[in-house]
Amino acid sequence: MSPGTITNQIRTLRFLHGEMSQAELGQRIGLTRQTVAAIEAGKYSPSLEAAFRIAEVFGKPLDQVFQWVKSA
Amino acid sequence: MPYREKLAWLSLVAMAVTYGPYFTLAALAPPTTALPDLSRLGVFAATSLSHMVIIMVGRLYFMARSPEDARAPADERDLAIERRSKTTAYYLLMAGMILVGVVMPFTAGGWIIVNAALATIVGVEILRDGLIVLGYRRGVA
Repeated sequence: MSPGTITNQIRTLRFLHGEMSQAELGQRIGLTRQTVAAIEAGKYSPSLEAAFRIAEVFGKPLDQVFQWVKSA
Repeated sequence: MPYREKLAWLSLVAMAVTYGPYFTLAALAPPTTALPDLSRLGVFAATSLSHMVIIMVGRLYFMARSPEDARAPADERDLAIERRSKTTAYYLLMAGMILVGVVMPFTAGGWIIVNAALATIVGVEILRDGLIVLGYRRGVA
């Protein structure tokens, strides 16, 4: 199993969607503001369902919101 | 700070200021009379009551400060942190109960067993709350 990390573009996508707040995003997908902040900071990897919900809010496919970056 | 992390901190502080003195007293001045030792039972009752009061007042304070956070149901991250904390704390609970219920009856008696059982329960709660705080601070992959 190759090591890696999950990165995301949520901060950028929130900015592109009228500076959507973490609280608003969280409300729309059933997560708390603190959990959205933790996902953004890479401190929590969301469930597949939550990841799809986030992508749906921004109208993007999943791989444009979350990326798997292999460690060197 | 997430609402549930605040509750974990509250529980840790409540444990420290109530059961800390109780177990210090139990270690420095172990009860010498056989069960039931009413004065020592009174100390334990006061400890439990003050713990309960601190938790209740603290929760009411947090609810008043952030009512929306208090009403919000636990989300998947909260549940993941809770699940991991409980799973780890369960092993300490099992070890403590085996020690108290299986080993200690052959080596000790009375208040030592009672306080060891209480210490196990308090230790498990401290471990669980500590892991919850760590889960929020350091993240859950």
